Amino acid sequence: MKELFSLASRQLGRKKLRVFLIVLGIAIGIAAVIGVTSLGEGIRVQAVEQIKAQHDLTTIDVSAGVEAGSVTLITDSKLRAIEKEEHVLFVASYVKDMYVTQNKTAFWLKGNTPEYRQIHRNLQLERGNWFDEEKESNEIVLGYDVAKRLAAIEDLGIGDEFVAKIRLYDEDSRPMDKTRDKTAVFKIVGILKSTGGEHDDEALVEIATAREMDEKDAYDGAFVKVDDPAFAASVGDKIEGLGLSARSAQDVIDEVNKLMVAVTIVFGVFSGFSLVVGALMVVNTMIISVYERTKEIGLSKALGASDFDIMKMFLAECVIIGVIGGILGDLLGIGFSMLIDLVGKPFLVSALGGELGAGLQTGSITVVTPEILAAGFAISLVLSIVSGLYPARRAARLNPLDALRQI
Amino acid sequence: MTVETRDLTKYYWMGKEKVVALDGVDLKMEEGAFISVVGPSGSGKSTLLNVIGCLDAPTKGEVYLAGWRVDYRNKQSLVRLRRKFVGFVFQTFNLIPALNAVENVEYPMYFNKAGRSKSERRESAMKLLELVRLEKRANHLPSELSGGELQRIAVARALANDPKLILADEPTGNLDSQTGKSILNLLKRLNEEEGKNIIMVTHDLESAKKMGKVIRILDGRIQ
Ligand SMILES: Nc1ncnc2c1ncn2[C@@H]1O[C@H](COP(=O)(O)OP(=O)(O)OP(=O)(O)O)[C@@H](O)[C@H]1O
Ligand SMILES: [Mg+2]
Repeated sequence: MKELFSLASRQLGRKKLRVFLIVLGIAIGIAAVIGVTSLGEGIRVQAVEQIKAQHDLTTIDVSAGVEAGSVTLITDSKLRAIEKEEHVLFVASYVKDMYVTQNKTAFWLKGNTPEYRQIHRNLQLERGNWFDEEKESNEIVLGYDVAKRLAAIEDLGIGDEFVAKIRLYDEDSRPMDKTRDKTAVFKIVGILKSTGGEHDDEALVEIATAREMDEKDAYDGAFVKVDDPAFAASVGDKIEGLGLSARSAQDVIDEVNKLMVAVTIVFGVFSGFSLVVGALMVVNTMIISVYERTKEIGLSKALGASDFDIMKMFLAECVIIGVIGGILGDLLGIGFSMLIDLVGKPFLVSALGGELGAGLQTGSITVVTPEILAAGFAISLVLSIVSGLYPARRAARLNPLDALRQI
Repeated sequence: MTVETRDLTKYYWMGKEKVVALDGVDLKMEEGAFISVVGPSGSGKSTLLNVIGCLDAPTKGEVYLAGWRVDYRNKQSLVRLRRKFVGFVFQTFNLIPALNAVENVEYPMYFNKAGRSKSERRESAMKLLELVRLEKRANHLPSELSGGELQRIAVARALANDPKLILADEPTGNLDSQTGKSILNLLKRLNEEEGKNIIMVTHDLESAKKMGKVIRILDGRIQ
């Protein structure tokens, strides 16, 4: 084996420029693939980091399970089962209904437990107080937009009381112009700061009050807090085992990962087309080399070489080309990804702008992993060998006499 | 080793025209013999050597090497026979330019290691270079050597796997007569001292007579 490669390197050493050019051709192709995949990987890492920064990975969002047309509701017994699971710190269940005021102003109302605010730590009062959580009360805290609407349309503010009814839904769960007869009187005690999210359109009350109004046996949703992000997935699976549906930020991360890996692969494959050029160069060079050494091949056969021996000799040269091309390609690829980072990042930051762009500012938009480098090396090696197969076979099949006769 | 051919016939087809290279050659060679083949150009001398050396297949007839019938349809066995029994010496030396003298001698051993380690192979290659008195040129590349030296290295290379039969096709054809004589002497020595069977094609009838048996070939037939 060692002799085979030392012989092969001697043969290659006789045409250094030619070898250098093919190796460079392959290396540039590999570098392009590495650069593009490192960009994909870099963006993936950035996206995941941003999700992690914005979401609590220890929270699982539970909703009713729908499977094959049947619905599994979040009942008290299900909640108790979830609470008993290992690693579950607490469960914050809630009910959510659409209410309308006497003047037909509609808003979502969430009845929730004290734990709810431990999950949604971004809920902060702009004015007033939280409702009394100890006892059933009619105190209500309005989301930012709800408060604005009620103030504008109905002239309601902190300290005011108002009457509201639950709006009904038709079979397709579209809101109807009908309401339940039962009325509730709410007293506004606080108004939330804008969160930019769903809570701006919601009002919050103590859960028992809301449940008494909607008379449902089940909850509309629950948040499950686990002690460590590492267990979010397994607890989520257990919850799904109960027939409910569970989502966590990890699911979003998984989806982003899936998407970005797919995108990266597509990009990598397309940038990999440049490798075809390198492969053709190998084929071309090896065919020329076979042609030049026809006499030597015939001689080797006369001296006892089998077809396979000849094939091995040529493939060994391809292996050497592939190894050098892989190493050089990896080095160039690292340089290329640094260049993308240097040139491409300012562009991306300004193009994305805002929060996304600011997030990019801190990190690198390209990430070269050992896996990417290993893949680059392997591609170079495999490519060279595959490209060398045909020329090597051609060499192996030469008739020794015809070959020897060549001048 | 004995060599025998029976009714050895070889045709080449040039389009529709049949070229007869060998026409029923019956040859018997005793253990340790030296046979010189003479004849005009195109008479079939090289073809005879190539068929005996398992490089070419006959159209008809048989070859027996050491009593074994050569199966020309079996590529693998042809390779094995070449490795084991045959050493070639060519008119044009045919050394590999990338390899130095000792590596050229060692080269056939690479295809027929026969359990020899790399250092053992290098050692026997050096011994063969000593045999042709070129040990001092061991590290020279072919481009740095004279024609006579190249052919002596080629002879040493033919001995690499210790074959019983050496086939030399006009080994002195590209050398001046003085250098040619030294090659002939070398072959003679191998025949007498090492007991090698040698079949040599030559145009030099005078020298051929001194080597041993001479056979004439004309239009593919032994005269
Ligand atoms: N590959 C081939 N295709 C067609 N004809 C061939 C081939 N090889 C040899 N011949 C023919 O076979 C005949 C014998 O050729 P061969 O090479 O054996 O002659 P030779 O005696 O060695 O001649 P020389 O002394 O010139 O080397 C010649 O007529 C030659 O033209
Ligand atoms: Mg000839």
